[in-house]
Amino acid sequence: MEKPLRNALKQLTDADEESRRRAMEPFVRATFGIFIRHLHRYLGNEAECEDVLEDVYADIWENPEHLRAIENEQQLLRTVYLYYMRKRLREVYRRLNRSSYLSQNDVQNLVAPELSLCDLISQAELKQVLHKLLGKLKARERKAIELWMDGMSNRAIANQLGTTVGAVKMLEFRTILKLRQMLKEYCEED
Amino acid sequence: MPNQDTTHREIQELLADYAAALRDGCIPTFLKSLTREEAKRISESDDFWEAAEIVRLMNSAGFGDSLVTPDVGLFISRVDAAVASRLKQAGASTRERSRSPAQVARSPVSQED
Repeated sequence: MEKPLRNALKQLTDADEESRRRAMEPFVRATFGIFIRHLHRYLGNEAECEDVLEDVYADIWENPEHLRAIENEQQLLRTVYLYYMRKRLREVYRRLNRSSYLSQNDVQNLVAPELSLCDLISQAELKQVLHKLLGKLKARERKAIELWMDGMSNRAIANQLGTTVGAVKMLEFRTILKLRQMLKEYCEED
Repeated sequence: MPNQDTTHREIQELLADYAAALRDGCIPTFLKSLTREEAKRISESDDFWEAAEIVRLMNSAGFGDSLVTPDVGLFISRVDAAVASRLKQAGASTRERSRSPAQVARSPVSQED
């Protein structure tokens, strides 16, 4: 863990409120990028990510107990997600439950799921692993996923592959399940 | 009699729509678009939940870097304002708790009582 982050964490778990408040600036500077990217996985909306993160940091300031024995960035992200982010993510979507047929439990699982082993892979490692795994797929499967990750719509992908939108959706679904199995094996080996 | 099933999306279509909503940052719209039958399909499909996990990772790998990093200094001021507001709230509740019974009795509300 970088020294500024280690120092900020130490100050953050101090009993004095003002001292904790001063520690927030270096802590936010050191963690903002990691936390906002992680939140983006569940929300996909930058403005919403910032609103949630603002509350998360204020919660951390108010009750930093869970961050007392953090030894590395992965442990920090896991702890912050489990004890601070999840609660706030659930709040964002709790009000939507009234207008959705999904049960409260399913909404929670969709927007603030349990952490899986693969969820804690860093952004850089994730990109590297996905690139490697995509190379193991069939050409058509790889093309569909790569085009999707380039931001293309399913209709545009269907045009590129010379097929229908329905067939593209089915191809993506099967390929994603295949990727999941491969990623799971990678994480378990790791 | 028309086949009512045609009005509901299949699980692969639901996943594609969830992925698109996540990419566009409009999950609430996706949640609102679900019919009762579609919600049931999602709930009962292990494949959907497993695929959704990967969609989130793919979304992060594909679009995480395109996040426009805001001015962190400005964001820190927002966090500081939130902390100040909580400090104020905590101060107010502490003052409330520390008022002696005699002070409480002298307060206008108590006198009205």
